[in-house]
Amino acid sequence: MNAEEIQAIFFAECEESLAAAESGLAACKAGTQDSDTVNAVFRAVHSIKGGAGAFGYVALQAFTHTFETLLSDVREGAVPITEPLVDLLLRALDTLSDHVGAARGLGEVPDDVGLLAELTAAQAANAGAAPAPAAPAPAPVAAAPVAPAVEEEGGSDPFDFDAMLDDITGAMGAPEPEPAPAPAPAWLLKVRPHAGAMRNGGEPLLLLRELTALGARCIECDCGSVPPLDTLDPGTGYLGWTFSLEADVSEASAREIFEFVGDDCGLAVGSDAPMPTVRPAPVPVPVAAPAAPSPAAAAAAPAPTNAPPAPPALGQSIRIELGKLDKLIDAVGELVIAQAMMAQRLAGDGLAVKEELTILEGLTRDIQESAMSIRAQPIGSVFSRVPRILRELTATTGKHVRLEVSGESTELDKTVIERLGEPLTHLIRNAVDHGIESAETRIAAGKPAEGTLTLSAEHRSGRILIRIADDGAGINRDRVFAKAVEKGLIAADAQLSKEEIDHLIFAPGFSTAQQVSNISGRGVGMDVVRQNVKELGGRITIDSEPGTGTTFTLTLPLTLAISDGMVVNVGDQTLVVPLANVVESLRPTKEEVQGLGAHRAMINVRGKFIPVLPLHAAVGAQGAIEQAHEGVLIVVETEGAGRAALLVDAICDQRQVVIKSLDTHYRSVEGVSGATILGDGMVALIVDVDSLVARSLSGHSLAEAA
Amino acid sequence: MPTITLPPRCDRAAAEALLPEMVAGIGSGVLHINARDCTQIGQAMLQLLVSARRTGDGAVIEPSDHLRETARQLGLEAELFDGVAA
Repeated sequence: MNAEEIQAIFFAECEESLAAAESGLAACKAGTQDSDTVNAVFRAVHSIKGGAGAFGYVALQAFTHTFETLLSDVREGAVPITEPLVDLLLRALDTLSDHVGAARGLGEVPDDVGLLAELTAAQAANAGAAPAPAAPAPAPVAAAPVAPAVEEEGGSDPFDFDAMLDDITGAMGAPEPEPAPAPAPAWLLKVRPHAGAMRNGGEPLLLLRELTALGARCIECDCGSVPPLDTLDPGTGYLGWTFSLEADVSEASAREIFEFVGDDCGLAVGSDAPMPTVRPAPVPVPVAAPAAPSPAAAAAAPAPTNAPPAPPALGQSIRIELGKLDKLIDAVGELVIAQAMMAQRLAGDGLAVKEELTILEGLTRDIQESAMSIRAQPIGSVFSRVPRILRELTATTGKHVRLEVSGESTELDKTVIERLGEPLTHLIRNAVDHGIESAETRIAAGKPAEGTLTLSAEHRSGRILIRIADDGAGINRDRVFAKAVEKGLIAADAQLSKEEIDHLIFAPGFSTAQQVSNISGRGVGMDVVRQNVKELGGRITIDSEPGTGTTFTLTLPLTLAISDGMVVNVGDQTLVVPLANVVESLRPTKEEVQGLGAHRAMINVRGKFIPVLPLHAAVGAQGAIEQAHEGVLIVVETEGAGRAALLVDAICDQRQVVIKSLDTHYRSVEGVSGATILGDGMVALIVDVDSLVARSLSGHSLAEAA
Repeated sequence: MPTITLPPRCDRAAAEALLPEMVAGIGSGVLHINARDCTQIGQAMLQLLVSARRTGDGAVIEPSDHLRETARQLGLEAELFDGVAA
């Protein structure tokens, strides 16, 4: 593994740490201010600091140092958790996130001078004993020695923990920050690092220095166990230290330092407790042993061969290059096709191997689901960015918004998650900017001054539903209508339903914002959102109630590679209708279908008339059934045009289809969302129901918006 | 008097590399250890120095500022340097 790869891991871990800190601080803000929560935030910032030092990101390290110092005081209770403090910490976290971005080369190093001063001020103001002028010292001290230390090393080893340690001690040692505020009774901690703590580049002195940073003073080093040179094993830990700690330093915080090394470091608390004994380094063992430390695996080995495999150890994970996963998914896609081909071939030859085929089909689906689940990530990684967006919006609009999130552990494909960020950001900005009213208006309307934004995610029948709901004023339909007329999107006398008016906001170039702000209102937002969601194979619907708020619902596929579809025959063509759109299918009687004008037909489905659209007309198929009562009607739900019934000749199958993009293999075609390969090797087009229905109903006012 | 010079970076690898040299040197009188360049030190090297001081005729260590400071913080100053003019 080279330095760049290690660095990539560092940044990946930074992301995780930032998300952890964010959720921790969010919990603090919501009222959960226990030590676990604060500790989690501290650890997150601390680990970023560690890596930043190791890689020589001076600005990042200096900032995290000050941040961490304040957090450390918060953790120890020296600084009380108040609302302004949490806000300050959140702002610091945003800047930290910018710092990480700058370190990655994704932006400028943020100007943090003011914030650093605020952080040190918050610490100094609350620490009581610490004199104010002393407080700002750690930041520059931490920043300064880093550069020379790195230079000394000649940059030969960018992954240099020792240098970092030394810097930290330098910083700690110099100002000697806490000159014993009160002569509280001290307690003793005895530490003896064992061999394990020194293995793999581990350095126990690092931990001891962290301990000194907590204010611990070494009162004795036990060298009694150090053997003469000829019997000395450099891998064994012989030294033991006794540290004295102030009473206000909790045992937990001291023990936490040694958490990383676990029982590779003997600890004892209290003056009576004996110093942990020396544990000799284990005799070198065959290489295989440490690679598989799971005792479960070892236990399973002598068992009969058909015994169930040892359960995977909890919390273990590996990082995989995304490209490799994509290959796996591709291969699984081919497997699905091959399986379908074989099924078709066997059926064609009249071979009755139903049972085996069913097993194969089940296995194929299992493999596919496992492969998908590898790519799946919790949507929380997208949701966790929302608090920051809201904070920024609060700063620019002055509207205070409370965030409620549910279902953040819902998993969906990584690609979908990555591409979801942008539309979600747009929707949230819109909700706050247009949806939620100003505090005065809200109070006048009898609502709480603080707006509420609800984000939720859930699985529903193989798709994922994401809701972005605000409790704002709802869509002002009169204004939307007037604006649409003004923009020439619809005729002034057009008769539109509420839903149709709502959907006008997705039309390109549409904006009702009275003032174009830098947040939203340029009219490039919502149509882009819809386009993004569509590209993901998803749909977006609006549900707005004047006075009570607006809900945007995104329906997205779990994956972009494979989906369930209904295979239908239309004349000489075979098409696939995505199952996500299908509501039901039926064979109408002649009486149920009512003619409308010269060419149109409507059907009464459960008391509601919906248009019948002959699919053959839309795709230009030859020899298809023309009369609705002779064929099959598939009732589909669309995003913009409500329900419609597609007339097809017959439904052949309902199966998984591997989606092949038309864009990459041919070009984008209106009304077709992709193609797939059928069991007989033929290519079938996957119908884009939304655009197809909208287009077929053209002349209808929604055509422009489609 | 045999002299052993410590590298700037005295980590575990350095300790392992120097151990045989020290074992060889310790038989022929007081060992002289030049640690003036030492800018980093880990536990492995610290205990090697302690061991060298306690083995045979002992050792005289010439510390760098860093080494002396580290030893002071870790309660090893007397153990490592007493009886030696720095």
